[in-house]
Amino acid sequence: MAQVVLEEVNKEYGSVRAVVDVNLTIANEEFVVLVGPSGCGKSTTLRMVAGLEEITRGVIRIGERVVNRLPPKDRDIAMVFQNYALYQHMTAYDNLAFGLRNRKVPEADIKTEVMHAAAVLGIEQLLSRKPRELSGGQQQRVALGRCMVRHPQVFLFDEPLSNLDAKLRAQMRIELKRLRERVATTSIYVTHDQVEAMTLGDRVVVMLDGRIQQAATPLVIYNRPRNRFVAGFIGAPAMNFLSVELQNSDDRLHAVAENFRIRVPQDRVGELSRQRTRDVVLGVRPEHVLMGEPRPEHGTGFDANVEVTEQLGAELLVAVRVGGATLLASRIDAEATLVLHQPLRLSLDPRGLHFFDRKSGEAIR
Amino acid sequence: MLLLIAPAGIVLVLFQIVPIVFGANASFRDWQLFNPAQTWVGLKHYLYILGDSTFLTIVLPNTFLLTFLSVTLSLIGGLALAHYLHRNFAGQWLMQTIILLPQMIAPVIGAMMMRWVFNDQFGVVAAFLDWVGFGPISWLAQRWPSFFIVILTDVWIWTPWFALILLAGLRSLPREPFEAAQIDAAGAWRTFTHLTLPMLRPVIAVCVLIRSIDAFRTFDVVWILTGGGPARSTEVFSIYTYVETFVNLDFGRGSAAAIIGALIILVVAGAMYKVAGRVADVAR
Repeated sequence: MAQVVLEEVNKEYGSVRAVVDVNLTIANEEFVVLVGPSGCGKSTTLRMVAGLEEITRGVIRIGERVVNRLPPKDRDIAMVFQNYALYQHMTAYDNLAFGLRNRKVPEADIKTEVMHAAAVLGIEQLLSRKPRELSGGQQQRVALGRCMVRHPQVFLFDEPLSNLDAKLRAQMRIELKRLRERVATTSIYVTHDQVEAMTLGDRVVVMLDGRIQQAATPLVIYNRPRNRFVAGFIGAPAMNFLSVELQNSDDRLHAVAENFRIRVPQDRVGELSRQRTRDVVLGVRPEHVLMGEPRPEHGTGFDANVEVTEQLGAELLVAVRVGGATLLASRIDAEATLVLHQPLRLSLDPRGLHFFDRKSGEAIR
Repeated sequence: MLLLIAPAGIVLVLFQIVPIVFGANASFRDWQLFNPAQTWVGLKHYLYILGDSTFLTIVLPNTFLLTFLSVTLSLIGGLALAHYLHRNFAGQWLMQTIILLPQMIAPVIGAMMMRWVFNDQFGVVAAFLDWVGFGPISWLAQRWPSFFIVILTDVWIWTPWFALILLAGLRSLPREPFEAAQIDAAGAWRTFTHLTLPMLRPVIAVCVLIRSIDAFRTFDVVWILTGGGPARSTEVFSIYTYVETFVNLDFGRGSAAAIIGALIILVVAGAMYKVAGRVADVAR
């Protein structure tokens, strides 16, 4: 039972700043996901919490203790690695027991703990096997068990599902959620997969170039991304971006590009008018690009040439060319008959419009 | 196809098969330089050697003892050195080069140096012992001190070889299990015995196998240091064969000794190969 606090945490390798001024408070029993592209500093941050990397500057607290100088074994944490990091020559049982034996726990108690963890994870039959006789998913379960038996204050996950194939990953994701309910522990989970971030996290922390871009609940991240990077990184298929110019005409604000002119919803006019620049980036998620004429009061309709269609069975992905960019629409009726290279009438859902500063990429709010 | 491997085949036949057949043939004949009649005598030489008490009670035990001690001690030393070098510290590469020096010196030279180091009048060891207050020890005049120096020299030469290969092995090990062990509160010794050693087992097995075969036929170091003496007490298999063949010029008996040695190596190496294979398999 502990919260984890990172205050102004920095990590530098020579002149390379891997982690820059990270401030983050993870509440007791909260499950926080660090997500970002490779090299964004998410793993380094996790490894600093684990004590596997030194902290260049800043303070990390677990519970009430400052742990900057504590070795990993004294931090009361457990970690799951991407490649499982199991002890290959030991049986699954010994893998689970190793940490407890090192701490001189009586063998009888070890057995109780190991059997309990194995029961929770459904690996009782595998305990006498060695890791190489187990599948990837089973190995990952053993790695989870190795963490559970010690009842640490904090679980650390370093891309634990990345080595599994897509199907197994989806299955393990659900199991991880179930496990979370049974073993509520403060957790930090690192992944580059935004689906894992969205589905697992109480809170998602998006990182880029060593800095936190946004830390919020999955829905806030999705619906109110703070900048263009967060908007583009979270969500699949990714958000569409279109460079537009804001124009005032007949008392209305319009977003205009080549062959593209839509009305800006009235509730967004205020914040956009405060901007000095007229050149902004319009962001819209593929599911907010709709087929057909908009409601007249919205005025968000436009025509665009169909470039590519992708049939998914349940829906049709349509890529159209407009305003010098390719726009993807994801929720098109799978039965719709579209003609390639012909214009198609589309509209944007006015609730799904995002505006970003073209230079800084910050969301305009 | 046959034509393509013919050059290699011819070399193999000329320099491996033919000499073996020659040697095997010689071992069944009475053939000395001063008696080149080459009369067929069957197993006479083999029976002589296998009944020779020097061969049975001194040469063979010496050979096995030298093999065992040299390999074991240089393995332990090599492991320690590799472990020490497997860290980043200032001057690490310099240390690595210095430690490798004995490997770069020809064994004959190394043995010569050791003979001078332990010379009972002019050697540094004698000077040191004199300074400490011990009387001079005639290292090379008694069996066990001589044998000790032979082993010491061999270990000195071969420890860097173990260190180098084991260091490469250490560097190739995955990092994560060691980090997991750090979190699992495993101390340095437990990490070494429970992770490093088992993970290095395949490398160690191969090293030991290669070195054991090699150590079994050690010649130069012993020949230079003791010449098998004093009074044949440090004689090993290769020296026995050499003396029979090229000192006594009894080609028949020398060939027989060589064949016996080859058979012993074949059996021992075969057994070790099996064990090594199993060890490597278990560790994977």
